[in-house]
Formats: sequence, C-alpha cells, structure tokens
Amino acid sequence: MARDAAQILAEAVREAGDRIRAALAIRFRDLDMAEEAFAFASLRAVETWPRDGVPRDPAAWLYAVGRRRAFDIGRRTKVRETAVHDAPEPAPNPETILMAAFEPIPDERLRLIFVCCHPALAPEARIALTLRTLCGLSVERIARAWLTTEVAMLQRLTRAKRKIRDARIGFEIPEPDAWGERLDAVLATLEIAYAQAYEDAALASDAADLAAETLRLSGLLAELLPEEPEVLGLAALVRLTESRRPARLDAAGAMIPLSEQDVRLWDGRLIAEAVALMRRAAELGRSGPYQLMAAIHAAHASRLEIGTTPWSDVVTLYDILMAVRPSAVTAVNRAVAVAEAQSAEAGLAALATVEGPERLAAWLPYQAARAGLYAKAGRDAEAAEALKAALALHPAPAERLFLERRLAALGA
Amino acid sequence: MQYLLLIYTDEKLWDPATGTAPAVLQEITAAHMRLGAELQEAGAMVGGNRLQPTATATTVRTVAGSQSLHDGPYAETREQLAGYYLVEAPDLDAAIAWGKKIPGGPNYAVEVRPVHVM
Repeated sequence: MARDAAQILAEAVREAGDRIRAALAIRFRDLDMAEEAFAFASLRAVETWPRDGVPRDPAAWLYAVGRRRAFDIGRRTKVRETAVHDAPEPAPNPETILMAAFEPIPDERLRLIFVCCHPALAPEARIALTLRTLCGLSVERIARAWLTTEVAMLQRLTRAKRKIRDARIGFEIPEPDAWGERLDAVLATLEIAYAQAYEDAALASDAADLAAETLRLSGLLAELLPEEPEVLGLAALVRLTESRRPARLDAAGAMIPLSEQDVRLWDGRLIAEAVALMRRAAELGRSGPYQLMAAIHAAHASRLEIGTTPWSDVVTLYDILMAVRPSAVTAVNRAVAVAEAQSAEAGLAALATVEGPERLAAWLPYQAARAGLYAKAGRDAEAAEALKAALALHPAPAERLFLERRLAALGA
Repeated sequence: MQYLLLIYTDEKLWDPATGTAPAVLQEITAAHMRLGAELQEAGAMVGGNRLQPTATATTVRTVAGSQSLHDGPYAETREQLAGYYLVEAPDLDAAIAWGKKIPGGPNYAVEVRPVHVM
C-alpha cells in the first residue's frame, strides 16, 4: 500500500508537476513561493497518502494543498496582498475534503515560460530558471550541466527571481508588439539548453535527463504555440539531434562523427516526429534559422532512408543559413559539407574564409574541422599538426579519444 | 509602479562645437517633446529632465564619515547620464516600451530601473 502511494505520487509529479508549479507561480506571481508550496504539498502527500489513502485525483490534490500553502505564506508575510487578493479563502482542512475532489489545474505553463525567458534576464539565468521552475530539475544538476558550483547557481537563480519580483516582470502573455522579441528570447533559451544537452552526451553518462527535459520543453512549446513555425523548427531540431544519441559514442567511449555513425542505431520514432513537425512548420510558410538547422539535420537523417547523405543539399541549406544568421560554427560546418560535396581542397578554401572568434586557432571546432579536411586531402603532416592543436584545447573525453585515434592513424 | 528611465549618451555629440548638426539636435528635442506629450496623455508621466553636461557636475563623497567635494561626475564613463524620465507603468515590459520610445540619435542607452516601493 505504502509503495503504491509512493509510486502514484512519483507519477503525479512526473505527469503534472510542471503544470502544478506553473499554476502556483502564475496565481501567486512569485516563483519562490510556488516552489516552496509545491515542495510542501509533495511532502504532505508522502506523510498522509499511505495513512489516509490516495486521493482520487492526485495532481488536483497536490495543486490544492500547494495553493493553500501559498495562500498561508502570503498571508503570513503580508507583503503580497495584492497578488493574492483574488484567491478565495480555502477550506479549513483541505487535505481530507479534497480526497474526493476533482478540479482541473489551469495550464499556465506558457505564461511561465515567457516569465522565465524574459529578455531582461541574463541568458544563463533564463535557462537555469526554466529548467528549475518548469522541469523541476535540481539546482545541483543544473549547476553540473553549466560547470559551476551549486552555490553559484543558487545565487544566479535567486538574483533572477528577485529581479522578476522587484522590477515587476509581467506574468502576462506578451503583447503583440513585443511578441517577436519575447518569443526570440524563449527560442534562444531553449537553444542553449539543447546545445548543452548535446554537448553533454560526450561528457557525462547522466546527461540523458537534461536531454529528456529539452525534448519535453521543446515539444511542450510546440504544443502550446502550434502556429509558430520557428517553435516547430526548434522542436524538430532537438528531436533530430537527439535521435542520434545512441550512435554518437563507440564501445570505448570515443566520439563517432555523424557521417560515420551506424544509422541502424538512430531513433526512427524521433526522426518521424521531427519530420512531421517540419511539415507543419512548412505549411505555415515562414522560414527561419531553426527550421533551416532542422532541415540540415533532416538531410543528414535521410541517410537512414536513402543510404547516402545529400551533401550538395546540405551545402545549399548552409548557404541560406549563413545569409539568415551568419556564425562561425555554421561557417565551419559549411566548409566540412563543401569538402564532402566537392573536394577536400574546396572545403579547405571555404574554411580559410571563416571569420569568427578572434583567436580562431584556439577554437576547438575550427582545429578539429581543419584536421579532418587536411586528412581528407592527404596532407598528413598538416592534419597531424591540426590534431595536436585540437588536443591541446582540452576537448571533452569522447572527442579526445576520437582525435587521439585519428592522430595515431596518421602514424604521427 | 514607478520606473526611472536613465538616458546615457556621449555628451560630446551634444556640444555644438564638436558634435551634431543643430538641425539634428532640434529634431531630437522635438521628439522628446512629443514623447512627453504622449506620456502625459497616457497618464504615465511622473517627471523628467534634461541634465547639464557632466562638466557642471560636483560630487560630494563621504569616506569614513568625512565629506569632500570633487569636480565632475560620480563616474567617468564613455557615455554620460544626460537626462531621465520618471514614468508610471504596470510592469517592466510597459516601462521598457516607454524606454524604447526615448529618442537620442544613432547611439545611446536607456537604463530602466524600478523605483523601490516603500
């Protein structure tokens, strides 16, 4: 019985936790209070469910108890009267009364995403706040993903929450004239999470949770904003890169480059989801960088179906992406695609035009690409030199293994 | 809630001797007048002023309880505090929207600071 209660609680938290936290945060216009109230409700469930039985609607119970708690905190601190004035006086003993109650929890997740990703907050604070508030990821876990200490991350979160409260960042869905800027900030925030989750694959064995949350968040956003093609594009992009996770490392833990991955290990379900999202985005008829990046990854994914990578399509897509949103990363990736579509020398020529980080030579993706292109051109000495330069730039373990192997293969 | 919108510009550009054509300055001044009228009409105007250049500033500094005067602004920066609006706005987005409407030529910054509620 007790085990059942614990299981049901875990399930309710997993399935409705984000919705409950969001509803509490929006209702009381205070992220800290929502967090505390939700933690309180979960704790009460642990204490009372095994004894009194599991409520008919566990999520509604958690929300009601959390709301009651937030109301009490608000009344005690008195400073938030204006925020709670419309909250009705809760029943005196909600936990027993609620046993049979059913009440839909309002879906405030979109409003909360817009609060957490407000452009007035620092980008790194936005993503931490989103993962903490919407996904319930622990501060310790978020700190680990961004290679900082738990204390530093907690400070960053506290500062952001204080700014939301004291500068009065609005809890409303943005007005039409601010919509573009606010949505861009949300997309950029999810992109940071996605990049980190992707990077993590080569670093940590427990990266799956961050990747899973990024998948879920991007999917949720696509569900909440089905008319925004770039939102659909980002959701597709995240699915396409995630589909390759099982194929990205070999048995020894070395990175396997995309073009050498075993396509049978790719997750066909995620690829199909991505393709469906991209189709819907295309029907809306407004292209953008996330849809373009998704299209590039979809072109790579098509190797699963057609057996080869359509490299000239990839180059064309990179050309468009460079025109829409130029970046050094895109330019380097484009050069690699040019090498595949045309020749290694053409790729090297494209790489030579890359303008980017001031000290290009000290930038790992550049050196790694350079090494690959020189090796492809049969210029072994230059390839070895670039590999050594790349290895000196502290690559993650999986990439280090890969680069070392390439160096050994050159006999250098 | 009140927000202070602090306008930072390179004040050299405003010095007729070194800077911008008078017609341009006149246009910016006119744009400020229009913004002031718009703020009034929206009931958002609490106050606002253009400041004299930092060359006219005096800083009173207190160190360990004893005070001394310094010729010049509190901080020497590339751009200087040139003026401000004090506006009433329901939330940060609304205050930022006013901040974006502040005119000032091609390069300048507006800091949006909420006023502490007592």
